[in-house]
Amino acid sequence: MDLLMTEEEVRFRDEVRTFLDTHLDEGLKRAERLNPSFLADPAIGLEWQAKLNDKGWAAPSWPKQYGGTGWSLAERYILDQECERAGEPHFRGASIKMIAPVIMRYGNDEQKNFYLPRILSGEDLWAQGYSEPGSGSDLASLKTRAVLDGDHYIVNGSKIWSTLAHHATRMFALVRTADTGKKQEGITFILIDLKSPGVTIRPIRSICGTHEFNQVFFDDVKVPVSDRIGEEGEGWDIAKYLLEFERGGAFAGGVLRAMLTRLHRLASEPLPDGRTMIDDPLFMARLAEIATDVDANDMLELSAMSKVQAGGNPGSVPSSTMKIERSRIRQSIAELAASILGPNALRFEEHRPLHELPEESEIDEERKVASAVYFNSRSQSIFGGSNEIQLEIIAKTLLR
Amino acid sequence: MDLNYSDEQLLLKESAERFLKDRYDFEKRNKIIASETGFDAGIWSEMADLGWLALPFAEENGGLGGGAVEVSLIMEAIGRALVVEPYLASIILAGGLVEKLGSEDQKAEILGGLFAGTSRPALAHTERQTGFDLGNIAATATRSGESYLISGEKPLVHGGAFADIFLVSAKLDGAVKLFAVPADAAGLTRTEVKLVDGSRASDLVLDNVSLPASALFSAEADTLAEIEAAYDRVNAALASEAVGIMDALMDATVAYTKERVQFGKPLAAFQALQHRMAEMAVKCQEARGSALLATLSVDAPRAMRIRGVSGARAKIGKVSRSVAQEAIQLHGAMGFSEEMPIGAWFRRLYAIENTFGTTADHLKRYGEIIRDPATLSGSLLREPV
Repeated sequence: MDLLMTEEEVRFRDEVRTFLDTHLDEGLKRAERLNPSFLADPAIGLEWQAKLNDKGWAAPSWPKQYGGTGWSLAERYILDQECERAGEPHFRGASIKMIAPVIMRYGNDEQKNFYLPRILSGEDLWAQGYSEPGSGSDLASLKTRAVLDGDHYIVNGSKIWSTLAHHATRMFALVRTADTGKKQEGITFILIDLKSPGVTIRPIRSICGTHEFNQVFFDDVKVPVSDRIGEEGEGWDIAKYLLEFERGGAFAGGVLRAMLTRLHRLASEPLPDGRTMIDDPLFMARLAEIATDVDANDMLELSAMSKVQAGGNPGSVPSSTMKIERSRIRQSIAELAASILGPNALRFEEHRPLHELPEESEIDEERKVASAVYFNSRSQSIFGGSNEIQLEIIAKTLLR
Repeated sequence: MDLNYSDEQLLLKESAERFLKDRYDFEKRNKIIASETGFDAGIWSEMADLGWLALPFAEENGGLGGGAVEVSLIMEAIGRALVVEPYLASIILAGGLVEKLGSEDQKAEILGGLFAGTSRPALAHTERQTGFDLGNIAATATRSGESYLISGEKPLVHGGAFADIFLVSAKLDGAVKLFAVPADAAGLTRTEVKLVDGSRASDLVLDNVSLPASALFSAEADTLAEIEAAYDRVNAALASEAVGIMDALMDATVAYTKERVQFGKPLAAFQALQHRMAEMAVKCQEARGSALLATLSVDAPRAMRIRGVSGARAKIGKVSRSVAQEAIQLHGAMGFSEEMPIGAWFRRLYAIENTFGTTADHLKRYGEIIRDPATLSGSLLREPV
């Protein structure tokens, strides 16, 4: 048992560092620093994805046969750490990390051949169509309906909290195709072209001032049967598979450590009265506590990775613990960063994206975005199965 | 990088848990702490037979060549069973220092008895003013012909109540050195102290204790650095002990709330309580991650060692306290009584929080290390040596 990299992994890490040094330019890094949201501004995200794609690294978690890297978990972990340390724009979202694994697992050859290359090239950007106004944590109660009519479905209803749907070309959605049996049994997984007639998108600005979420309405939208994934009624199993990817298929250690490092830098900068927060014992106590949380979470991620590499399963209690803790840690870093702004916390820049504004010093820009980052961080404990749902999962395992 | 236990390690874990479950139940433990000596010689000798006492020592010194991971597994089991015998103090701390600093003669003399279970050394280092500044000691050693004269006060010596030999630190020409002092040496006064967790320690007073030249451990070594490293080894071990206790509290709380019926249903059927137990489980998981980092950091370069060990003591201090408080609360009045182990686990965790540095001391030490952004932002993965 050890934490040692192999010689090969060290070489790999150095290769990643060299690539980032030469390809992740200041403009991209600045845009990410000024991005309060979970995912990058699409123009920035797609620019970065194209650079990664040229190198063959756009989809680190995909097998080689689909244009991925075929890397081991350890290599993906190292890539994630290095990319986060360098400050890459976050853009491996619904397209690369959610719908792609579903198409690989449940899609037919035609679907794989058509959709997967379009994801890598950035031609398609996907939005998620899970939640509805009346169905959040109780997802299986969803009501958006698809009725079979010859070789297509007619879809009516509405999806909500669809991240970047206003930029997306397509949406994967859970729809109801039957009302008989258990509510989970009548759900089907379909792919919707968002340019189709009958699709309306309403923007929802989040509390951080950014338009990232949307409500999407379907009014007699035609979806070819060939855009159904799996069989009718198989949607719930597919949805669960996808949520596993949303939960366990990502590392957060890199981003948490990068956020902590940014906070350290912000706190090392003198305040107008000459003090620095890093010399304030109360601040340092809080920072140190959070740093111990980050270390512990990192170890849980590495332990889970070890288990998977040995052919095992991390188990539901560690997985849900990581989901809960990642959200809490992210929230506490963002909250602590915002807490040291002083009266300047009252100033709020409304323009989005922030990187379009004239350039200021790095520290001033960190200060400019800190409140919005804090506001945005509240979503961490809600999406992907809220923390209360995670506690339910843990309790069920503990008390069975 | 591999964080899976080997088959041998899993076997050790299982055998340690089974041995203590069979031979060291809560009733037996209460008899031991109520006994005159507060120590069970039979159990200690069985531990010797199982190889526990020789486990973490190098094979060339007659040990079994176990590492920090093996120690952590024993410590988890010791935590659950609430063992009061001085495994940590005599084997890991004092024994470890003898191995690091002892001459061949000193090692042969002390470690032989230690492995056999007949000798139990104890480290007498910290003093009232030491706090967590390990170099701040006032005890002195002066040369007197061929011998040394040692004077000073060493309160709260862990393992002291059961020790036949003390490793006493004193300043010799301004540098911290260790001396082997027999428990029956003239001028040494030992007073037994009962500790908050039911175990025992000693207050020592040394008044011109005369020792032969051979009592000095390594004139050349940086003794203080070795003492600090030894403290980190025991602190990593304490982190694992705490994890063992937290798991025990979790198991007991789940079992109790499933059994206890109020308002016509088991307590475990109430969602308000289910979520509190789930939060306890989250803390147990996190503590396990922290303790593992501490375990795998004891031989790392100093900054990484501190990050792993003090980080774990700080983090585990906080979450273990919360888990123990919740365990009492969810047991209701039963958790408040000495008849159940809940309170004993609670008190042992409280003792751990105040042993070899407090939770706050460790947080401060960790905080100082992460002021260096290179340490703060550094990966937990290490380059091969």
